[in-house]
Amino acid sequence: MINVSELQKSYGDLQAVKGVSFRAKAGTIFGLLGPNGAGKSTTINCISGLIKPTAGNIKVNGFDIISEATKAKQSLGVVPQELAIYEDLSALDNLRYWGAAYGLGGKALERRVNHVLENIGLMDRARDLPKNYSGGMKRRLNFGCGLVHEPKVLLLDEPTVGVDVQSRGRLFDLIKEERDKGTCVLYTTHYMEEAENLCDELAIIDHGKIIAAGTLQDLRAQVGENDIIQLSGVFNAKKLKAAIAKLKPTPEILSLSDESLALAMKEAARHLPAVLKAVSATGAEIRESRLTEPNLESLFLKLTGTELRA
Amino acid sequence: MRFLALTVIKEIKRRFNDPLGLIMWLMIPLFLGGMLTSVLGGASGPTPKAVLLLTDLDDTFISQAIPQALSGGQLADMIEIQEVSRDVGNTRINDDDGSAHLVIPKGFSEAYLNKQPIALELTTNPAQQISPKIIQDVLASLLDLGHYIQLVLGDEIKLIVDGDASADLSITEVAAMISGKIEKLGPYAFPPVIEVVDETPVPEGQSFNLTLLMFPGVLVMAVVFAGQGISGIYWQDREKGILQRWRAGPNGMWVYWTGLFISSMFILGLITFPILLGGFYLIDIPYTKLAPSLLWIMLTGPLLFGTLVLVQVMAPSRRAGGVISTLLVFPLLMVGGSFFPKETLPDVIRAMSDYTPNGQILEPLKQYFLGTYGLSGLFSTLLPLMAVTIALIAVASVIADRKDLR
Repeated sequence: MINVSELQKSYGDLQAVKGVSFRAKAGTIFGLLGPNGAGKSTTINCISGLIKPTAGNIKVNGFDIISEATKAKQSLGVVPQELAIYEDLSALDNLRYWGAAYGLGGKALERRVNHVLENIGLMDRARDLPKNYSGGMKRRLNFGCGLVHEPKVLLLDEPTVGVDVQSRGRLFDLIKEERDKGTCVLYTTHYMEEAENLCDELAIIDHGKIIAAGTLQDLRAQVGENDIIQLSGVFNAKKLKAAIAKLKPTPEILSLSDESLALAMKEAARHLPAVLKAVSATGAEIRESRLTEPNLESLFLKLTGTELRA
Repeated sequence: MRFLALTVIKEIKRRFNDPLGLIMWLMIPLFLGGMLTSVLGGASGPTPKAVLLLTDLDDTFISQAIPQALSGGQLADMIEIQEVSRDVGNTRINDDDGSAHLVIPKGFSEAYLNKQPIALELTTNPAQQISPKIIQDVLASLLDLGHYIQLVLGDEIKLIVDGDASADLSITEVAAMISGKIEKLGPYAFPPVIEVVDETPVPEGQSFNLTLLMFPGVLVMAVVFAGQGISGIYWQDREKGILQRWRAGPNGMWVYWTGLFISSMFILGLITFPILLGGFYLIDIPYTKLAPSLLWIMLTGPLLFGTLVLVQVMAPSRRAGGVISTLLVFPLLMVGGSFFPKETLPDVIRAMSDYTPNGQILEPLKQYFLGTYGLSGLFSTLLPLMAVTIALIAVASVIADRKDLR
């Protein structure tokens, strides 16, 4: 459904996307996980035709987004990060209008609009202007406008930013429902938990490059069974490196600086006291310690040496 | 086409759902126009007269011809002459009691007949804007006329003034001399002209007044403010992500722009209709002119939207777009004759007025109201104006399309 090949996008000297490739299938939720500024939105904007790629190919439902733009876009449903709704038109009018934009009309449009209104929980407020809605209600309407025409490919760019927990859960149900109907969903987020709970397949993106991709199981396997120990404080990196090398079993150093240390090792909870003792012995001042079981965040840390920062 | 129609309806609906915005576009020009009209003394009552204080120190047949010429015919509706002494005239001008003070010096008549230079003293009241200018212009024209009369009929006038006509020549002979000269000069002085016949009947009793001059300005002011408001939709839609949704959709952006263009016609019609209706009622303009006037505004008004949306699209941010378009709007209103009638503007600004988009909309409409233009005159520039509008919007669309939305 979505085939991205060697996608590049530059803004002058700044290369925002550096050769991104992935394939998202029908009936799956494909997640693009990465910190802010990693290139997720640029990638999704290239796929939706908002910005022209510097190089590479993008096919949506088999159509090239540049040379067969109209056909490709006919298959697309887009939910931008911004609340792309007419706040001076009722929810009903918003949905009718965006449905008509994709050729829906008559009873089919009314049926679909009513179905979406029901699903996004705005049926009883359908005739109200969105400017009188809460933030969560606006998000749900924004989402509804993107799928009112039953697109084959749904692009969701961080749709839960600023959404309350209740609305977030409702959005997840709607996204899964679309997936179950056979829609290919591309979902960008910087929330690790969202990606783990929602996505069938994932690509982790950082500094414009995909650094890991696969199913959740594939990615977990890459993390291995190692837990992550993270320490912050004041360290002497040179002395610390030597002290850690003497520990048995020897932890893997993921990142080390004069202010932070990240280690990976099995059964970290059991070995934590020995690690802290060895670190303290170098004259370090430990201010905070954290132990994390294997997850996407630890994979990100393992791959990049940095946290999945928001 | 169905989606284009839906887009137009959607835009109109948006405006209806923001009644405060519509009311503002309607009320600001009415408020400003009302203020300006009352400041200029042009309420719907009779035409305000310029008061000319006259001190005739010469007191001759020739000097007396000046006030007679200034108070004859249609000028009598515009200028009221009050004879005063020099001191009283000066005092009254200083007290803002009068539009101008004209002093005809002793010896004026003699100098005129002997083709000698002589100066008339005209002191204008700086507290008044329009009336002194009317007197100044009329007086200048009158003096030009006097100069040519003197050149052509100087000898005959001298005969009459000197009283020699009765002695050496009979009145009939002097009259025959004058008549003969006029006959000879006729083809040069009054060459045949192509007569433009305006078939639109001008109702009797319709006369020039300041409110009538101000009215088209107020109308076009509403068009300018509405045009500015509609042009701001570009940044509103862009920042909201609406343009992203548009660009990601299967419909070309031309539908978006055409929708804005067509809807702007209806919105302008909607806003100006009550102003037109009220103006026609108050100023007593025949209602047969209502529909053509409304049509003119609807078809040409989007020129302001086109101009200002191009400014918005070229601006680097919403804030910049707003500031630049506002900086542009007020000089446009001033130069284009919306704040003050073009007739009252200095020559340089008056010349520039013809090159402003609002001036292009306003002037034919004013001439139509005044009865100078008929229907054909009103609509004579319609096609070029619409072509320019479409070109401006097309350029804005191309520029907007070239910009990345993120």
